[in-house]
Amino acid sequence: MGVHIFGKSIKHNALVRIGLAKRIFGIGYQSAEKICAKVGIYPQMRMNQLTEPQIMSINKELSTMTIEGHLKQKMIDDIKAKRRIGSYAGIRHALGLPVRGQGTRNNANTAKKMNRIERRFR
Amino acid sequence: MRPCINLLRRSAWKGPHVVPLPIAHAQKTGTPVRTNARACTILPQFVGLKFEIHNGKEYVEVEITDEMVGSKLGEFAATRKRFNYKFSKN
Repeated sequence: MGVHIFGKSIKHNALVRIGLAKRIFGIGYQSAEKICAKVGIYPQMRMNQLTEPQIMSINKELSTMTIEGHLKQKMIDDIKAKRRIGSYAGIRHALGLPVRGQGTRNNANTAKKMNRIERRFR
Repeated sequence: MRPCINLLRRSAWKGPHVVPLPIAHAQKTGTPVRTNARACTILPQFVGLKFEIHNGKEYVEVEITDEMVGSKLGEFAATRKRFNYKFSKN
């Protein structure tokens, strides 16, 4: 059971703003609320109460933003640019270590998993 | 609307953090600028110049390109060396 928005199936009984934020990469609570306000959806509305034109207008709104694959590609390109100019952040990405000054004596596991030149995503 | 992360980094009224460097002299003669100011922001005027940036031990030579504008000088002179174990015979 799900409502299909932007090629993603969202649980039918989720609040619209929370469903959008949970399922679509690049949409958080704030931007989901903004989309809802723009389209004219009241905050307590649930996914299964959406009408067809409302889903269409949400899709139209989402297609103007950089989300999902485009956003991931942009992030990878930014990391590659840092690597190319030889900056410290780029080197740390290439080594698979934390970028923002965290320690590496123990842990640093998220960085070891995610930080590559071709960055991984959850 | 929220400001983007680049604006949140530093108050706009301060402008970028820049220290006085002999840029005009370097542009004329083409000599590298030797500096310890790692926190100095790279301005568009620096592009094409050579810098010798202190890494705590020695001066690392870096040529500034277009894409480096906006980052700091210190980002391009690493302060740490990778550890590698050397065998010693005794």
